[in-house]
Amino acid sequence: MKKIKIIAGIAWAFICLILIIVLFPGLNSFSSSLAMLPFMKINPNYTGGEVAQSLVMDNCTIDIRRPVFDGLFGERQKGFVQIDWRGEIPAEIIDTIDFDFDNNKDFAISINSKSSETILLPFNNKIRDVGISTPTSYGWAVRVNLKK
Amino acid sequence: MDDTLSGTSLKKSFGKSLLYSLPMILITFMFISGGRPDFSNPSSALAMMITFILVNVLYFLMHYTGKTDKFRAILFIIFALSLSFTLISNMLEMRNSMSFSQADILECKIPFCHLVIPMMILPAAFTKSIIFPGSILGSFAGIASMVVLWLVATLVLGRGFCSWGCFYGGWDDGFSRIRKKPVIKKISDSWKWMPFAVLFMVALTSALSLGPTYCDWICPFKAVTEFEEVTSVASAAKAGVFISLFAGLVVILPFLTRKRTQCSFLCPLGAINTLSNKITPFTVKIDKANCSECFKCVAACPLFALTQEGIRNGKVSVFCSKCGKCIDACSRNAIHYGIKGVPAGTMKKFSRNLFLFISFLFMAVFSSGSIVNTFRGLLDLIF
Repeated sequence: MKKIKIIAGIAWAFICLILIIVLFPGLNSFSSSLAMLPFMKINPNYTGGEVAQSLVMDNCTIDIRRPVFDGLFGERQKGFVQIDWRGEIPAEIIDTIDFDFDNNKDFAISINSKSSETILLPFNNKIRDVGISTPTSYGWAVRVNLKK
Repeated sequence: MDDTLSGTSLKKSFGKSLLYSLPMILITFMFISGGRPDFSNPSSALAMMITFILVNVLYFLMHYTGKTDKFRAILFIIFALSLSFTLISNMLEMRNSMSFSQADILECKIPFCHLVIPMMILPAAFTKSIIFPGSILGSFAGIASMVVLWLVATLVLGRGFCSWGCFYGGWDDGFSRIRKKPVIKKISDSWKWMPFAVLFMVALTSALSLGPTYCDWICPFKAVTEFEEVTSVASAAKAGVFISLFAGLVVILPFLTRKRTQCSFLCPLGAINTLSNKITPFTVKIDKANCSECFKCVAACPLFALTQEGIRNGKVSVFCSKCGKCIDACSRNAIHYGIKGVPAGTMKKFSRNLFLFISFLFMAVFSSGSIVNTFRGLLDLIF
């Protein structure tokens, strides 16, 4: 039993030696394999959720993302919808948004891209307030807080 | 087997030390130079050469002198400093600031570090997603590559990751070495259980909020890496917490106690690495036949892993990070690197050589990128 323990311990140590030697040359390959696992995607609370509709305007595109209510076990009562303006951003952004695509406008938003002043005009009681309004590398992003 | 070693027998001759260093020289040359050194950029070539020489001289000296900790600590501290230098210089180049904005979060541009791992496990299981605004396969601090690196390192080294791989550990390790004798000598070692409480708290709160609460509110190393732009009372409070914890746990307490207090009392990943110490084949063993119970090792241990009672019973606790400080402190060579299953007091040289090769190789290759980058940056500043 003592000898078996010694052999097992040394064998495990040599396996570890091999693991470390192959770790760095194989890092890209191991990382790519890990990245393909179903849980290896960024939570929508950070990404803003998938783009549900893109509206192509003259100088920019408006991406309306799906509303995010994601919680640990299901949906939360409070969430947000993210709107992205991509391309050339005018000094004053004024748009009305129908984020649930029921053909009724849900809110109007006005953004002064110089001062970042953002004014929200809700058209229904699901709209709470402006969570984030910020310039981005691609244009502008706004998160409007929602309730169910 | 070498079971009757005297206190100095871990030393090797110059030739033998060089022979033992050869595999490290070859492998680090391949990784640092990419196998094909590029001399077109003199500062890059010089930075690579300095890094290559530095890591190999340190490894050679571990064999030549028979001492481990002081040479490990040199590279470990340089790693911590260079990582912060690399990260800060990258951020200043990209954003002109050490702080990140809401846009950086929305665009998932935050560099990932291994301290997030304890917080992402529960949400990954329940929501099948990662609660961190980084990139999964980014070229700099991508989530997948950091997880793979940590996973293999913690499997192989256990809590040894905290002394051979963690690019933050070098900060409090460095400050704990400034004074020769501690000002505060008596600290209850029950504090070492605190990281488990922190782990439980941050795992739970991160799962409930779907955000990395340790990074958002507690992490002391935000003070030397990056932090949220101060735009509100909450973000100002966070910055205050980061700076206070860094000053208290990473600078002042290590300086006064000669212990790595952040690693011992706060780090949630350290708690997980402590658990993985049960899996790793490498350990530190006490050869009771040679032990005089002087307890110099207990005083030397920076992570409260050794107790007088444990030494009497020939046991090292799972909190051990295999830094080698206790081994260097023992004049009778009674405490040594070992392999699980192999009785204490036997195969001392073999176990040490194998452990040093594995752990040092990991640290040398993992740290080389940021050390090269730092030397290059410094050379560019000078010339």
